[in-house]
Amino acid sequence: MADKPSDLVQGTLDMLILKTLALEPMHGYGIAVRLEQMSKGVFRVNAGSLFVALQRLQRAGLIKSEWKATENSRRAKYYALTEPGRQRLNTEKQEWGRQAAAIARILEAS
Amino acid sequence: MSLRRNITSGLRSLLRRKQADRELNEELSGFLEMAAEEKIKQGMSRKEARRAVRLEQGNIEVTREVVRSTTWESSVETCWQDLRYAARRLRKSPGFTAVAILTLALGIGANTAIFSLVNGVLLRPLPYRNPDRLTMVWEKGRDGSPQNVGYATYLDWKSQSKSFEQLAIYSSWQPVLQAGGEPEQINGLRVTSNYFRTLGVHPEIGRDFLSEEDSPNTNKVVMLSHSLWQRKFNSDPSIVGRTINMSAAQYIVAGVLPASYQSLMSQDPRGGTVEIWRVLGYDVSQPWACRTCHHLIAIARLRDGVSIAQASAEMDIISAALTKAYPKEYDDAGVIITPIREQLLGPASAPLHMLLGAVCFVLLVACANLANLLLARATNREREVGVRTALGATRGRIIRQLLAENCLLGMLGAAAGLFPAYWMPRALAIIGAGDLPRLDQIRLDWRVLLFTAGVALLTGIVTGLAPAYRLSKTELRNCLQQGARSSANLSSSTLRGILMASEVALSLTLLISAGLLLRSLSRLLVVSPGFDPAKVLSMQTSVLGQRFSDNKIVRQYFADAVERLRALPGVPSAAAASQIPLAGNMDRYGFHVEGKIHANPEEDPSAERYCITPGFLDTMRIPLLRGRDISPSDTSTTQQVLLVNETTARRVWPGEDPIGKRVKLGGLDKPWWTVVGVAGDVHHVGLDAAPDMQVYVPHRQWPDPDRSMVFVIRTAGPPTAISSAAQQAIHSIDPAQPISRIVPLENYVGLSVQGRRFASILIGVFASMALVLSIVGIYGVTAYTVSQRTREIGIRAALGAQRAELFRLLLHQGMLLVLCGVVAGLLASVAFTRLLSSLLFDVRPTDPLTFATVVFLLVGAAAAACFFPARRAMRVDPVVALRYE
Repeated sequence: MADKPSDLVQGTLDMLILKTLALEPMHGYGIAVRLEQMSKGVFRVNAGSLFVALQRLQRAGLIKSEWKATENSRRAKYYALTEPGRQRLNTEKQEWGRQAAAIARILEAS
Repeated sequence: MSLRRNITSGLRSLLRRKQADRELNEELSGFLEMAAEEKIKQGMSRKEARRAVRLEQGNIEVTREVVRSTTWESSVETCWQDLRYAARRLRKSPGFTAVAILTLALGIGANTAIFSLVNGVLLRPLPYRNPDRLTMVWEKGRDGSPQNVGYATYLDWKSQSKSFEQLAIYSSWQPVLQAGGEPEQINGLRVTSNYFRTLGVHPEIGRDFLSEEDSPNTNKVVMLSHSLWQRKFNSDPSIVGRTINMSAAQYIVAGVLPASYQSLMSQDPRGGTVEIWRVLGYDVSQPWACRTCHHLIAIARLRDGVSIAQASAEMDIISAALTKAYPKEYDDAGVIITPIREQLLGPASAPLHMLLGAVCFVLLVACANLANLLLARATNREREVGVRTALGATRGRIIRQLLAENCLLGMLGAAAGLFPAYWMPRALAIIGAGDLPRLDQIRLDWRVLLFTAGVALLTGIVTGLAPAYRLSKTELRNCLQQGARSSANLSSSTLRGILMASEVALSLTLLISAGLLLRSLSRLLVVSPGFDPAKVLSMQTSVLGQRFSDNKIVRQYFADAVERLRALPGVPSAAAASQIPLAGNMDRYGFHVEGKIHANPEEDPSAERYCITPGFLDTMRIPLLRGRDISPSDTSTTQQVLLVNETTARRVWPGEDPIGKRVKLGGLDKPWWTVVGVAGDVHHVGLDAAPDMQVYVPHRQWPDPDRSMVFVIRTAGPPTAISSAAQQAIHSIDPAQPISRIVPLENYVGLSVQGRRFASILIGVFASMALVLSIVGIYGVTAYTVSQRTREIGIRAALGAQRAELFRLLLHQGMLLVLCGVVAGLLASVAFTRLLSSLLFDVRPTDPLTFATVVFLLVGAAAAACFFPARRAMRVDPVVALRYE
């Protein structure tokens, strides 16, 4: 069971993308790979949901994009966090922490 | 912030659609390439890696669609696609498109035209500040009718009432302006100094009237309208403060009103618009300022928060107290307060609403027609829809696509329909709109455009909804079968039948309404005005100058003028009168009969007064029924005599001989007049109003002879041919006298029915449009049904059915529907025509002749529309019919 990729918890993809981009600007494929690596293969995002999410975040002004050359000298669109995006990531992180702790407390209650 | 960003980036990708697509493509394929490279690094071959990535990520086309479809601009795009597809389809069937657009253009065009009329006349705000706080204030007559007020009453109202922020009065005034060329009589009002403050209108240049100017012995000040200022004073701003000459007196110009302000107080087409205002300048000591001198009209601005009902309650109390204090000077207690809107626009609203209703009917008929066309087309489109459904289109998507087509049709129809609205003002100038106020304000503005767009969209959706819904329910299996018969034939033929019957019903209702109005008009046109207006020229004149302060000179002047006119070649007779019938004049005097005077003389009747020179009856060809006419020998030194009309004789002296009876006119302190003759009734107010009491007094005997008179000149040839000779004749006595309103009497008679003629002609046009549309509709439906049944007819004929039987079979269905429509239409007409009763004259709303004629006409036309397609079907050879399809 554990080696099969899981579906993301509803609404968390945006937060995870923001977190990925908080480290450094990244292109779409890079984000997907990074998510998979960081979750140790638990989350695998397909291109459809990823680009829909990127489009949504960009429209909301949380990330911005720019065409740049990759290390393999291929042209790719790099996404970077904006200041509102950084703030949003912080509030979402705190909220997630609170909720996760609360859920954990409920589950561990005996 | 993010909404704005969403919109702007959406717009950007809409406008640079190709670039946005390319970027998304590049990004997605880059993604896949990178994924593949990763797998190659892990040891897969390039081919295997690509395959693995495709398996993982699915179809790239689908992914791209998914990403694109989440944005708002993509739905705009699909709409645009739908519209382009619709345009392509419409272009492919130009016949259908032309018929549909023409049908809609008729329906929508009629609506736009009438709405632009309603918009200009009724919907545009009145040119006053907060016009809904403005009211008219009337004394209540014994019969409950609103009546003008006297100056003394006004002063009491003003000082005692608390409901009004301002209370002002006005009366009409026709000065002769001596500036910029020939002396000219213009329309004016005498108003209290607070008149413009009451209306909330400020002069554009100069100042408003001052309250200290509102008394008899101060400078006379006037306000000019913008148009008069342009016309007579070349828009010279220095005119303010200067003196101008009018009617032999001097007036100081206080200010000029803005161009946006057009007076609505005089909307009689015969009177023209008001162009000058003068301070009333009354004083209670003046004899014409009395309580019974009912010649002033009051307007008021309600205080904030005071309703009309509250103001009425307060005014009723004040009026009751006044009636108690002056029992002989008031007819009855009570005050009537009406919104100014009702006063100014009320008379116009009934015919306009009727026209609006009529064009709605036309539009509904057009919609039904178009829906029928679309239903017929829908049957042919089942295959197309079936294929689309098979390819995965949802029902909503198909409905949307079909509606896009209809909305496009609606918009095209509306574009064509805007032309009538654009030409409306010109069209009105041709047919004449009677007494509709504010006609110059009709134009295409945003309200009209919005209305048209709304009507077009609604029409598109309404007409398309039924066929679209039916199509979207198309059974896939049925329609993909080769040569399958239309699957939902039953429901769509029922729908077609209902549409056709309702078209008939709507047209019938409209035709009956038009018939009733046209019959009223024809009844009205045969009403004799009581005089013979043919070949009579009328012209208005006022005497002015210091020498005319002598009554003797005034009398002599008019006697001389009439003599000179009579001496003209081709003039059998001429005379002058203080007013003439049907010309919009209004001059009534209390009529106090010896021996029949009421305790309160205010309750005595009143009569229209004509102050005439001898020969007036003869020139007008008003019959003298009894006694003698006024003659030149009735002078200031002989017995004072007058003529009464038939109605007066009948009402005042029933069963008695009126000759020799004595009456006083306009107050008990006046002298006695002796009746010497009875003249025929004339229609003074309008052909549709019953003649009232009328008296004729000799100009030579009237104590204060009228200085403003109308000449009537009977001519042998066309009356206008004499006009310049007639003016020269007058000017040969005194070249300084102004002559205005040189109008053949027939024109006044025409003007008095023009409003009615306008409404009747328009509704007649609309009814004919509805008739034509529904006949076309009936023809279309019958032709379609017949063509669907060609095979059946062939079989029946082959099996030996007689032609006559087949014919009956085919006609039967169509005529049954028509009859259903007729019955529904008759019921609707009985309900609707009652609303018309105020517009009818001498015709009952359920006039059987009109109903019968219209039903006959419509059924006949419908029968013809059914007959021709059926006959064509009968001519088909059975062999051909069997091979058909």
